[in-house]
Amino acid sequence: MRATNWVTRLVAALLALAILLGSLLGVAEIVAAALGRAPAVVPYPKWTGWLRTHSWNDGLVKAVLAGLVVLGLLLLLLAFRRGKPASLALRSDTDGVAVTASRRNLEKSLAAAAARTTSIAAASASVSRRTARVEARTVAPSEPGVREAVESAVRDRLESLGLERRLRTRVDLTTKDTR
Amino acid sequence: MSGRANVINRVVLALLGLLLVAAGGLGLALSLKVFGSGRATRPVLPQEVSTFPDARPWFWWALAGVLLVIAVLALLWLLTQFKSDRATRLDRTTNARDGYTTLHAGALTDAVEDEVQGITGVTGVSARVREHRGEQVFLRVELADSADIGEVRTRLENDVVAHVREGVGDPRLPVTIELRPSASTTPRRSVR
Repeated sequence: MRATNWVTRLVAALLALAILLGSLLGVAEIVAAALGRAPAVVPYPKWTGWLRTHSWNDGLVKAVLAGLVVLGLLLLLLAFRRGKPASLALRSDTDGVAVTASRRNLEKSLAAAAARTTSIAAASASVSRRTARVEARTVAPSEPGVREAVESAVRDRLESLGLERRLRTRVDLTTKDTR
Repeated sequence: MSGRANVINRVVLALLGLLLVAAGGLGLALSLKVFGSGRATRPVLPQEVSTFPDARPWFWWALAGVLLVIAVLALLWLLTQFKSDRATRLDRTTNARDGYTTLHAGALTDAVEDEVQGITGVTGVSARVREHRGEQVFLRVELADSADIGEVRTRLENDVVAHVREGVGDPRLPVTIELRPSASTTPRRSVR
């Protein structure tokens, strides 16, 4: 599951719980009022009194309204955010069989492929829907052909998987600090 | 979490988000005198609104009914978060009059895992049966860095999938295979 989905799930669970408790509390207050009892939990006479005496251009009212807009925008962002894919589709010739590659494992695999290249001390990789980006540290500065070698290793690894959508590869080289 | 729960979450969050933005935006427009300065200075809860239920005793019961409906919907939404799309058995009944036939998903997934584990280059495997738009088998296969991915895929797609479908008696059973290429060459036990 994507990290985005975990956040969405947590927010959804908290919101659902809040709405559930709020609605039940509302029903309890209505029943209590019908029975002529004082407010059980929510001091609504105080709240309605405040709302009757404050106008729309009151500073606190504006702040609450702005807060509602911000909260709404955050929920919309959560609802429409795509995030990084959990897996990438691979080509499959068998009917009814979908083959994918886990993004995280693909990143580790690309980093390992890059790190095995001569003159590379260490490497890390990140994969998005369209791009595979590799950051590699070279042992010695400005060795010719290192970038091409890393790019070739990364491309070979991607080719061996047979991704349905070809990824752009981007290699960033830095020199290892030998001090 | 099931894919269905993910879709429900996104739809409900989008609706709530739109509702909050609309309510907050409208209120802000009122307070910023977009609808005239007269309205901006009116109380948030005008007298006619606060006295509306006084002559209508049904109002509070109607509101209680609406709140109960919202509470039920919120409960269903909450329960959705804990639902899994994992199936424990597959219904293989062809004619209910002759009796019911079910296949334990565990028996199927154990057999699949044993077969996949035998493929060279595979370091771990987990299989499960999902109930998402019909039954489907989901395979997660961990590969050694030295694995010949093409060869592993051929074995998985030609042999394993064929055996699963044969075992279940459904030549079109959807199968999803997630490959997990690894940076490690050390074989490991099953990831289940």
